Amino acid sequence: MDDSAQKARYSPPWGNASIIGVAGSSGSGKTSLALAIVASLNLPWVVIMSMDSFYKPLTPEQSEIAFRNEFDFDSPEAIDFDVLVDRLRDIKQGKVCEVPVYSFEKHQRVKETTTIYSSHVLILEGIFALHDQRVLDMLDLKIFAEADADLCLSRRLVRDVKERGRDIEGCIKQWFGFVKPNFYKYVAPQREIADVIIPRGIENRVAISMVSDQIQKTLNHKSAQHQLELRRLGKIAEDSPLSKNAIVLKQTNQIRGVHTLLMDPDTPREEYIFYFDRMVALLIEKAVDLLPFAPSQVTTPQGNAYMGLKKTGEVSAVLILRGGSAFETGLRRTIPDCRAGRILIQTNYRTGEPELHYRALSANIAEHGLVLLLDPQMSTGGAALMAVRVLVDHGVPEDRIVFVTYLAGRVGVNRVLSVFPDVKAVVARMGDDMEDRWVETRYLGC
Amino acid sequence: MHSKSHNLSPFPSLPHSALETFSSTMASQTQPEAPSKNVGPEYRPTTQKPLATVSTALKHENVHVLPQTPQLIALLTMIRDKNTGRADFIFHSNRIIRLLVEEGLNHLPVLEHTITTPVGRTYAGVKFEGKICGVSIMRAGEAMEQGLRECCRSVRIGKILIQRDEETAKPKLYYDKLPEDIATRWVLLLDPMLATGGSALMAVQVLKDRGVPEDHILFLNLIASPEGAKNFAEQYPKVRVVTAFIDMGLNEKNYIVPGLGDFGDRFYTM
Repeated sequence: MDDSAQKARYSPPWGNASIIGVAGSSGSGKTSLALAIVASLNLPWVVIMSMDSFYKPLTPEQSEIAFRNEFDFDSPEAIDFDVLVDRLRDIKQGKVCEVPVYSFEKHQRVKETTTIYSSHVLILEGIFALHDQRVLDMLDLKIFAEADADLCLSRRLVRDVKERGRDIEGCIKQWFGFVKPNFYKYVAPQREIADVIIPRGIENRVAISMVSDQIQKTLNHKSAQHQLELRRLGKIAEDSPLSKNAIVLKQTNQIRGVHTLLMDPDTPREEYIFYFDRMVALLIEKAVDLLPFAPSQVTTPQGNAYMGLKKTGEVSAVLILRGGSAFETGLRRTIPDCRAGRILIQTNYRTGEPELHYRALSANIAEHGLVLLLDPQMSTGGAALMAVRVLVDHGVPEDRIVFVTYLAGRVGVNRVLSVFPDVKAVVARMGDDMEDRWVETRYLGC
Repeated sequence: MHSKSHNLSPFPSLPHSALETFSSTMASQTQPEAPSKNVGPEYRPTTQKPLATVSTALKHENVHVLPQTPQLIALLTMIRDKNTGRADFIFHSNRIIRLLVEEGLNHLPVLEHTITTPVGRTYAGVKFEGKICGVSIMRAGEAMEQGLRECCRSVRIGKILIQRDEETAKPKLYYDKLPEDIATRWVLLLDPMLATGGSALMAVQVLKDRGVPEDHILFLNLIASPEGAKNFAEQYPKVRVVTAFIDMGLNEKNYIVPGLGDFGDRFYTM
């Protein structure tokens, strides 16, 4: 990679996730503690991952032993650390991470996985969260939750009977056979390497608020870094002419006439919607031209051959909410059955930083021939950068992404296209660099 | 045969008579000689642009052929294919028709009109000038009305029915119903197929008889034969023809080759 490409690289706020490990005896209240911390922050970017998801699937023989409550689930041996380390690396690098789902009834992993993506801070909780050196190397904060042994046993009994379908005798057998000896052998030694030891679990308000504050500090730092990053990319973009990968609709009389109607505050909303839909249909027609086509010979009803083309893949769309929803009518005029994923990116009104709140994408989006990223307006390009990054993280090759927008500023477009040099942008009109988001407001009426 | 490409016109220097000879012999060929070209976005290297048959070029200034983009070629491929069902035929021809209407509307006059944008800037825009109306040549032309309405919601639409007279084998006007004030309007004349051009020529005559100036007529057409387009363009040099594709020629039955069959049948009854 040459120097300029290096400079133009974009790291989203989840690009270098912080990971917090919470270890402690079974029943010590690790989960409640983690939940209390997450609840006190109340942000979608702080996510909990339980090490219970990483139990090794059991062989039929082991399974039989397990059903007799004679299998040692409380030894590090029962945990698939290789997979765990692998997944943590994905999270650390901001990639999409598929977390296995373990069924305690069947002692097997189920087919489905849960996805963790774009978390800025991940809390890893489990009795052995501070056990494996490879995990320790990735942790930014190491917490050990401590609780009285009686409390641990009673909590464990209640949980296993109520939630995991066990009987009391079996649980007690496990406690004295495995849990307690393993605690002294493997769990307790983790105290020594912890940064913080939290006694009394969720009752310990002071400790929870200390950890929350610490996480908040980390988040603020990441947010500041991200804004700095966006400004830096903006500087690069400012000095360059409009990227050649930006395709601006030819400003014909009709296009200019429609622009005039759309921008005129006196145009009634009904008309505004009609003309906006018409413009979107033209934008989509322009964008779908970037799909790869293959030669295809067909025969007409009269038996004549025609050497034409056929599309080589599916065109799908991803709407950047909420503005992107203004594209839906125009989109369906061209591709009625178009798959349309959705990403909600909100700009934080205090910092001006784009934040990813929600995403729902087609499962096979990586195989689509062309993915149209739809947003009626691009000003700084921050949300667009983030959205493109989300698609790339989900396996969509850059050269199959087209950002389609009604109105964009040069700096915003350049910012996105310099970071992702194979992405294309289709724009109906180039405007100022920092315009208010009036396009969708007029379309949606609020 | 397709490697013969990069020459947009297959017979650029041939005189008119030679063209006629060429077309008449062409009907017997199963694979007509056609201009082909590597099509695709500019940034793509030629090796990544697939080769396809593109529109025959005409030198007439009043004939405007839509840009031969891969998407347009793919849409045309779809509607030419005899295996394409009615629903797909309607949908995909409608997409091309909308592009034709958008291009056609661009030929209408505009007035400078500066406005203040929602962010307080001025934009030197334009205002649409002059009244328009659509006139469809029945029945295939009516298939283009929806596309016209999708761009111009409340446009008035007149109709003209022209049929071939069994006795004289010449086109004959059977019916017309046009807006009273058509003489003051710009007319978008709609007919998807232009073969010999007989009906279209007659329709223009009807409009002229109603007082529509020739240069206020735009003929919107999906597929034309080179002979038909040439003939039309020469007869009415002020009428603008907007077409998606000029095909190879006509066969002995005066069907466009390769064409797409009977447009009206495929759209309405097949």
